[in-house]
Amino acid sequence: MTVSVIPVGPQHPVFLEPFQLKLVVEDEVVSEALPRFGYVHRGLEALVVSKDFRQMTRVAERICGICSAIHGMTYCRAIEKLLGITPPPRAQMLRLVWSELHRMHSHLLWLGLFAEAMGFESLFMQIFRIRETVMDILEQTTGNRVIISVNVIGGVRRDLDAEGADGIRRALKKVAGDLERIRPVLVDDYSVRKRTEEKGILAKERAYELGAVGPVLRASGISQDIRRTGYGAYGELDFEPVVESGGDCQARCKVRYRELFQSMDLIRSGLDRLSDGEIQTKSKEKPEGEILVRSEQPRGEVVYYIRADGSKHLQRLRIRTPTFANMAALMDLLPGLDLADVPLVTLSLDPCIACTER
Amino acid sequence: MGMMKHLMVRSRRRSLWMMHFCLGGCNGCSIEIMAALTPMYDLERFGILNTGNPKHTDVLLVGGSVNHRNRRTLKNLIDQIPAPRLIVAVGTCALTGGIFNEAYNIIGGANRVVDVDVYVPGCPPKPEAVIDGILSGLDKFEQ
Amino acid sequence: MNLAKLWVPAAAVIAAPVFGGLIAGIDRKISARLQGRYGPPILQPFYDLYKLFGKDPLAVNRWQPFFAAMYLFGAAASVAWLALGGDLLVLFFLTTFTVGFLVLGASCVPSPFSRAGAGRELLQALVYEPVLILVFAAIFQQTGRWDAAGVWRQGGVLLAQTPLLYLCLFLVLVIKLRKSPFDFSASPHAHQELVRGVLTEYSGPFLAMVELGHWYETALLLMICALFWSSVPGSAILVAATVAGLIFVDNLFPRLTWRWMMARIWLPLPGLALLNLIWLMV
Repeated sequence: MTVSVIPVGPQHPVFLEPFQLKLVVEDEVVSEALPRFGYVHRGLEALVVSKDFRQMTRVAERICGICSAIHGMTYCRAIEKLLGITPPPRAQMLRLVWSELHRMHSHLLWLGLFAEAMGFESLFMQIFRIRETVMDILEQTTGNRVIISVNVIGGVRRDLDAEGADGIRRALKKVAGDLERIRPVLVDDYSVRKRTEEKGILAKERAYELGAVGPVLRASGISQDIRRTGYGAYGELDFEPVVESGGDCQARCKVRYRELFQSMDLIRSGLDRLSDGEIQTKSKEKPEGEILVRSEQPRGEVVYYIRADGSKHLQRLRIRTPTFANMAALMDLLPGLDLADVPLVTLSLDPCIACTER
Repeated sequence: MGMMKHLMVRSRRRSLWMMHFCLGGCNGCSIEIMAALTPMYDLERFGILNTGNPKHTDVLLVGGSVNHRNRRTLKNLIDQIPAPRLIVAVGTCALTGGIFNEAYNIIGGANRVVDVDVYVPGCPPKPEAVIDGILSGLDKFEQ
Repeated sequence: MNLAKLWVPAAAVIAAPVFGGLIAGIDRKISARLQGRYGPPILQPFYDLYKLFGKDPLAVNRWQPFFAAMYLFGAAASVAWLALGGDLLVLFFLTTFTVGFLVLGASCVPSPFSRAGAGRELLQALVYEPVLILVFAAIFQQTGRWDAAGVWRQGGVLLAQTPLLYLCLFLVLVIKLRKSPFDFSASPHAHQELVRGVLTEYSGPFLAMVELGHWYETALLLMICALFWSSVPGSAILVAATVAGLIFVDNLFPRLTWRWMMARIWLPLPGLALLNLIWLMV
């Protein structure tokens, strides 16, 4: 039996971002996994000392490109609570629409990378082709593809006209049709099932103990979704969290696949209920006090803690990102895995290192 | 001899194997680089292939700003890329450090560590801009 | 020894990489179209190869270039031997030899990716070598000849008698050309756990040599396929169909693991070939 140490990363084709997994491998079976971080750490929570609280919105959006809209929204919600203002209903609903579109783009990206981690090049290409439709809507309605920068304190920066709303509806119809067509491959295909089923099983109790969040937790059979707390406009809409019971890669894939349809439903009903009116509540106050705000990101629950003393600059900003919470689960899953399944299982948790390290 | 050289320049221009390395950024640029590989943009029609292995690389796409830890990794990677090579900085962070320039762990743009050939601005640049950036660096292979 | 006879293998040694490269180019183009992309030009592999020869030679140690060269030489020699109409059993040993050099080249470097890839390459050889020898045995059973020239002259449509064997040979081709689902020792695409597997540590001209050797191997295997329908139009049809099948299989499957291959393919594949052989004998 040969023991070797395989350094996966900091540069490795499977991970988009630099982070290292040192795998101790015995005959291609992982016996120990050590993560090493710090390659993406920027120290942007400390930027509050040099950027004022309005400028920090732009920084919060750039914590992570994949969940940027929801980071921005969560930050704005925290500041709004400190300022004691509520965004107008139209702005709340527009925030919902754009954050769900962002969730779709993130989940489609994940599905694509998941397919690529299996070595399924053609499925990867098809999924990214579907994703481009979502990217086109984002670009048409906000002006940028990835970092859409729609949130400002007190509301949103851009309005959506009837034509734009129709465009979104039409595009969603196309995306739904395309997604239906790849369902048999993702769910029924023998070789895909061979790679995903019963790989990296996270039991229900274990997921709860390790504090996993988001789709990972829901794939293990725990129905938890921060959107159900009804922040923003989510309280007006009715939906149930997507739950699967398997706890393996296949279950996590199914959760994200079904959440795409859930997001589409949310966007459609959000657009239907879009009320007329202002899109921004203005305030000249400075934030003061302490606050903790939670949102549901594509990867799970994000927590923002802010302390402010009534000056232009915030005193403290602290962010607990979903991937940080899921890392413990990943380290629990890796030992005992086949080397060939390591990329797949790691990606099935959707690690976002830019979020984790900030 | 002249013909061989002409053919070599032509081959180098037509066959670029790329690798992207994301430093301390928001990851938005690597998403757009991935998107550039896919059907809507298709980098492969220019002969550009994603290798993910520095030893096979001709063009390195760097995204994100350099920090105290990944500086060494980036230098290490560049040393493993055989010449002739092209280094493209993608996104505002890789150009100057961008919005994170004032953060305590950030040194600055990619040019603090390596000689960058092409700068592609944008936060993040669109896939079209990434493709344009790579292709406009091709003249380096003429020499 | 008739020197005039030598022009056939000489022509084969020159033509085989052109053929192999063209197959690779067509493969990339059709794969791209199947994936909804426009794809590279057909001549792309030749640009890649020529460019690689022009890169800075960065060898990890002295042995690596040697093994790369030996791999190329072994692959070219196999093609020349088959073109000469040589003995099929000698050809079998030549191909085994060739793979051995690839594995040695990959394991003489310290990189764990390369070494793990070498291990998987050996496991692949373990799967397809028995099938290859059974294929040659079946050809002998049918034609009574061990030499390729004789087989070609009196073969006829071997395929009609050996459909199962040809299926096995097709799977050998899938394994040998590193197509999905068996592309775990070195995938042409990035994004796998071993980076590029056995090819990880080769760079520049040495990678070009290995690539060229791979084209020779492609040509060699397709030449063996051609023996199953010994007429010019027949073998052309057979080879074209086989290549088309390869491309479709490559695009229809994700990468499976070597454990799956050992569990599901290792014994059934020679078993299937043997079944066909027994059927030929009785």
